[in-house]
Amino acid sequence: MGRITLNDIRKRFGTTEVIHGVDLEVGEGELVVFVGPSGCGKSTLLRLIAGLDQPTSGTIEIDGRDVTRVSAADRGLAMVFQSYALYPHMTVQQNLSFGLQNTKMARDEVGRRVSEAARMLEIEPLLERRPTQLSGGQRQRVAIGRAIVREPAAFLLDEPLSNLDAELRVTMRAELAQLHDRLTTTMIYVTHDQVEAMTLADRIVVLRHGRIEQVATPLDLFNRPANLFVAGFIGAPNMNLFTATAQDGQAALPGGLAVPVPRNGPCTIGIRPQHLHPAEADASALEGRVTLVEALGTETVVHFRTADGTDVITVMAGQPGIRLGDTIRLAPDPGQIHLFDADGDRMDNNV
Amino acid sequence: MAALPAKLGVVVTAPLVLLARAVDPPLRWWQRMAGQGGMAAVFLLPNLAIFGVFVLFPLALNFVYSTTAGTDILLQGRSFVGGAQYARLLECRDYLDPLTCREDTFWTAAANTLVFVVLQVTMMVVVSTITALILNREIRARGFFRAVFFFPVLLSPVVVGLIWRWILQRQGLLNLVMVSLGLEPEVWLNDRTYAFAATIGVSVWAHMGFYTLILLAGLQAIPKDLYEAAEMDGTRPARVFWRITLPLLGPNLAVVLVLALIRGVQIFDEVYVLTGGGPGTSTLYLTQYIYEVGFASVLRNPGLAAAASILMGLVLVVLTLCQLWLSRRGEAKGAK
Ligand SMILES: Nc1ncnc2c1ncn2[C@@H]1O[C@H](COP(=O)(O)OP(=O)(O)O)[C@@H](O)[C@H]1O
Ligand SMILES: [Mg+2]
Repeated sequence: MGRITLNDIRKRFGTTEVIHGVDLEVGEGELVVFVGPSGCGKSTLLRLIAGLDQPTSGTIEIDGRDVTRVSAADRGLAMVFQSYALYPHMTVQQNLSFGLQNTKMARDEVGRRVSEAARMLEIEPLLERRPTQLSGGQRQRVAIGRAIVREPAAFLLDEPLSNLDAELRVTMRAELAQLHDRLTTTMIYVTHDQVEAMTLADRIVVLRHGRIEQVATPLDLFNRPANLFVAGFIGAPNMNLFTATAQDGQAALPGGLAVPVPRNGPCTIGIRPQHLHPAEADASALEGRVTLVEALGTETVVHFRTADGTDVITVMAGQPGIRLGDTIRLAPDPGQIHLFDADGDRMDNNV
Repeated sequence: MAALPAKLGVVVTAPLVLLARAVDPPLRWWQRMAGQGGMAAVFLLPNLAIFGVFVLFPLALNFVYSTTAGTDILLQGRSFVGGAQYARLLECRDYLDPLTCREDTFWTAAANTLVFVVLQVTMMVVVSTITALILNREIRARGFFRAVFFFPVLLSPVVVGLIWRWILQRQGLLNLVMVSLGLEPEVWLNDRTYAFAATIGVSVWAHMGFYTLILLAGLQAIPKDLYEAAEMDGTRPARVFWRITLPLLGPNLAVVLVLALIRGVQIFDEVYVLTGGGPGTSTLYLTQYIYEVGFASVLRNPGLAAAASILMGLVLVVLTLCQLWLSRRGEAKGAK
């Protein structure tokens, strides 16, 4: 239960197309995260799956059944809205049972499901309250509870944590992960926050301008970004990107560091800040003056500028005692260099 | 291009700036004299004075008049009679039959007003709710229809009365149409039932735009995703209306209900122009009774009219208190 397939989904609002042909397969019980910058079409795609909007073309299947023209209610999915969309005039109890009462479900069954969800989410003491009498985190739980009681084939969550403060967001994130482990129901989770995506997802779908840029597990996405956009979007601080022109199978980084490149021509070399380390004294290296030091205690983020004016970021473990204006010399781990061709697509440097 | 509006702005604001500079020193001086709290009084005083002269003073004067008798309009020519005018209004042999009362026209007008208000307000709430629901949907030319329904609110009540008299009178537009369709013409405004219905219909037509607007604002304040959540759950449209739309529209409906009640009790202008209270006394409402007793009849009785208006005022005060209570309760519920 809960296998969702999208076939060449397109969506136009008026004359502007915002989803340009999306193909995707979400497996049973999988937690898939849609991530991408604001306005890239994450919510639109989720609403198309939910049945709240109709695709302009393409088909949607749930467990092999074509549901493209099936109403939202009959798709067997439950949605958690960014604003929670709780009914303000109903108590928590009524909010949880309202949807079930539409379906002529037996009273006992409604009561059983509501109390089970309330117990699971630890909101039993709140059942008689109204949404306005709840804190943000409590509302969030009720919104999730309203989805759980429907025992859906899949949960759809649109930026469910974005209205919470940073601390609560971390707690709720962990709880959502536990909930998914316990329920083993398919979840599609939308966020613009890459940390949420990396920590929650079985697989991440990176979207940009209504297109899928890459679908992969979090670590694959980090280790082998398919293109420049994904490389820049995933990982914090952002990957250092150097443009260069490869000649005779080599491209030069600022400071004279040479990187082997399989193809000649313009290319981009990417190095994550975490993968730069102090260079040997006589080897060629990225050399620059420190322009900013962000000491976070467990690690230190150092910004520096090379002689030709390129800004580079590095992350060092612990508190290395580097000061503004110091000169540092760094070299990348040889196996951790990403190469991208002129179109921004990944070149495999292992070949 | 951008330079012109900027210059225009300077020209427009220059007089205001000069004005502000001119009033600034005296206001500063005043604040030094009166202190922060005293300044509030300084700003409130002009409005309070106007309110006092045109509302509070007449109110008190009206009460004084209600304790006097005579036909003279000036207080010096009137004699003090205490509560006699009230007693006269309230004196009945059988309180279930207006005709046994000493001031039977007062009771007829009161009974008419009661029936009118109950029917008119019910119709007003139902019609403006339905109109607001329709105008809130994504229909074509929505803006145009919103304007159409609001337009009568802009008309003077006298114009409203004249328009409908022109339509409903014996030689009016409606009869013209009926005759041309081969139907018998009808004496709409000379039939007790038709005339009564006409006063209800016309006043609903004239005021519903205002109430529709209040309800439309309420409907638009209901978040869209509540409806989407209901849609995900497969809630039937009727259930969505009764369980989501109506409860969330509650505060607006309460405002509409009470405003319509208050304005219903005060009904006068349109009806006076349309039917003049007739035929007979079938569309005679309280305000017209007061006007006629106090000013228009041959043997005018300002004291009696004043007493009647005080009684009517008491009803309005009760209705207003109901409104305050309802809106407080609504707020308390939201805050809890
Ligand atoms: N109902 C709509 N009408 C017109 N344009 C829309 C509508 N909904 C979304 N869009 C457009 O589609 C694009 C994607 O929006 P959305 O899916 O909400 O982005 P995201 O959730 O990724 O931030 C945006 O450019 C937005 O302006
Ligand atoms: Mg969104």
